Amino acid sequence: MGVCITGIGVVSAIGMSVDENLNALREGRSGIGPLHYLQGTRAGLAGEVKASNDELRTALGVGTEYVSRTSLLGLQAAREAWGDSKRSGVIRTGIISSTSVGGMDRSEVFYKDYLAQHNPDYRLLTTHDSGSTTERIAKELGITGYINTLSTACSSGVNAIMLGARLILQGALDRVLVGGTDALSGFTIDGFRSLMIYDDQWCRPFDESRAGLNLGEGAGFLLLEGEKSLELSGSKPICNVSGWANAADAYHQTASSPDGKGATLAIANAIRRAGIGLDQISYVNAHGTGTKNNDHSESVALWNVFGDHVPPFSSTKAFTGHTLAAAGAIEAVFSVLAIRHNLLFPNLNYRTPIAETGLVPVTRLEIGAEVNAVLSNSFGFGGNNSSLVLTKYE
Amino acid sequence: MSKPALYLSAASTISHQPTFGHAGFSAALVPLDAASALISPDYKAYIDAGLLRRMSKILRMSVACAKDCVVQAGIEQPDAIVVGTGLGCLQDTEKFLNTALTVEGLLPPTSFIQSTHNTMAGQISLSLGNHGYNMTHTQNTLSFEHALFDAAMLVREGDSHVLVGAADEHIDILNDIADRLAFETPVPLTSAASFFILSGTNAGNAAARLADVYTSGGAEYGQEEIDAFLDRNGMQIGDIDLVLHTGNPLSGARQNTGYLPLAGIYPTASAFALHYAVDVLAANGGVRNVLIVNALRKTNLGLTLLKAVEA
Repeated sequence: MGVCITGIGVVSAIGMSVDENLNALREGRSGIGPLHYLQGTRAGLAGEVKASNDELRTALGVGTEYVSRTSLLGLQAAREAWGDSKRSGVIRTGIISSTSVGGMDRSEVFYKDYLAQHNPDYRLLTTHDSGSTTERIAKELGITGYINTLSTACSSGVNAIMLGARLILQGALDRVLVGGTDALSGFTIDGFRSLMIYDDQWCRPFDESRAGLNLGEGAGFLLLEGEKSLELSGSKPICNVSGWANAADAYHQTASSPDGKGATLAIANAIRRAGIGLDQISYVNAHGTGTKNNDHSESVALWNVFGDHVPPFSSTKAFTGHTLAAAGAIEAVFSVLAIRHNLLFPNLNYRTPIAETGLVPVTRLEIGAEVNAVLSNSFGFGGNNSSLVLTKYE
Repeated sequence: MSKPALYLSAASTISHQPTFGHAGFSAALVPLDAASALISPDYKAYIDAGLLRRMSKILRMSVACAKDCVVQAGIEQPDAIVVGTGLGCLQDTEKFLNTALTVEGLLPPTSFIQSTHNTMAGQISLSLGNHGYNMTHTQNTLSFEHALFDAAMLVREGDSHVLVGAADEHIDILNDIADRLAFETPVPLTSAASFFILSGTNAGNAAARLADVYTSGGAEYGQEEIDAFLDRNGMQIGDIDLVLHTGNPLSGARQNTGYLPLAGIYPTASAFALHYAVDVLAANGGVRNVLIVNALRKTNLGLTLLKAVEA
């Protein structure tokens, strides 16, 4: 039976729920546009969640103002994935979130006032550390015990899913809510601009003319249950988490290697762990950020693993923007939707193949093809490469 | 459930104490005073000078300890690298925040690149040329215990040697923040890194066995949680020769030592306690079982049980 996914939740630039996200994916509607809620940044376009902090707090019933947007987005998705699951004294339940910015959206408000000596509010810093974003989500959901946060930049979300699956297989937990969350912040926008990989136009993953990413924000969560938990909870499995792997590229602190070493290892090991053949991968939800470097390196890795038989693939980053630590979790939810509804999602803004690799992504919504197994890639700073294989529940 | 043995076959710490390169350090430690400072080794022996220049304190400490561990364990490569950090790369984070708010135009990216929490694990993989599993846990005061738990799982899954450690760095603004938020800091806020090699077999160089590690968050713990942990390991408090703790001593143990006055306060100070325990066990002075009780934050409990290597 292995590890089953029994609940999913997502919030992103294309919607506040799984249904809203699915509709936008079906309709080819991007959520990237000029910033409305986060003011004072140098970003032209970003994938912003269409709700203010006050609106999120009200909708979620969170009283305190001292809560990061990262926690609020995470809570929104975690609640949806948790659904009407019951707390249990018998089902050992944990939570693993992941984030790269933590409460930076609040800390930078503090720091601006601090530098200006303009009466800075030190309490804003109580949500700074990444672990506190998860502690807040756990508290709102009433989860105690195993509460953990991973932070491996843009691969974090997949790593949380992987760790959750391993904890269940080792018998350390019976049920675990796993995912990732990141809010937009001036810090990350300035950071990616300083690296000169922030595109002022719409991002164009896997296109020859691609010139960088657009940042996004959001959260994805999945409820994982093992056999014992399923027997007690009666939850209905949607998919299996079948394969996973993490590997270090060990090439450069930020850039990916031209030979795609780390990515190749992650993809190949995840498929091997799933125990399925290469030809059984129905669809690849690529990392596909739209940077020159990532999309080239990822294409080479797909070539390395699949040779001339690269499965249908696309990046959904042109819908959501690059949501950093949340990306792997949001895209795992999208991968579940691909399996559940037999859909292949379009890679928006694509026109011309990358000259060196010639790979052509899925460019229109494809319906009707049976989707049994999806590979989802997430690659991050520090050469942190992770891949996940989700399969239809049998 | 019987679990295979896990061995600590290397340990390395850079801290405000004379820990680095000083086996047996635990015998002579005195509590830190307010003026204590980080005791840095000659980093050039471990890190290329060009890289070193760009590295913050937390990166230097981490890479040096990691390399020291690999040499001590006598291995070519660990199968995985797992790091815990409570607050991550504060020096670069503050630097980039400052630059972004004060500089117009193009910003230098180095401090942004090095601000992410997984920079230590990433830099270690780069410096070792390691392509294995590479993970960073950040769960407040339990970051190190979570990393250790992950490392233990990896060895049970078949890895031979896992490099596992923790690091946190102090920056000046932390004192101001602690004051303003009324955090009690009876001992100094410090920086440190501790790394270990956790192995599935003892090649003759293991200093201690890791029997179990446990974390619990979100609720204030009680004595019964500690008793249950010991019970799962077939032990009672009277079997513990040394308790290393953050808060109150445990009654019934043969000896209690508070480790914060020795390590100073930082989110992953329990990693210092682990090295202290390994050092005590390696000295073979009659201590067989050591329990580390990390309640640095009252709603987070970390428990780590170590045993002497069986003769």
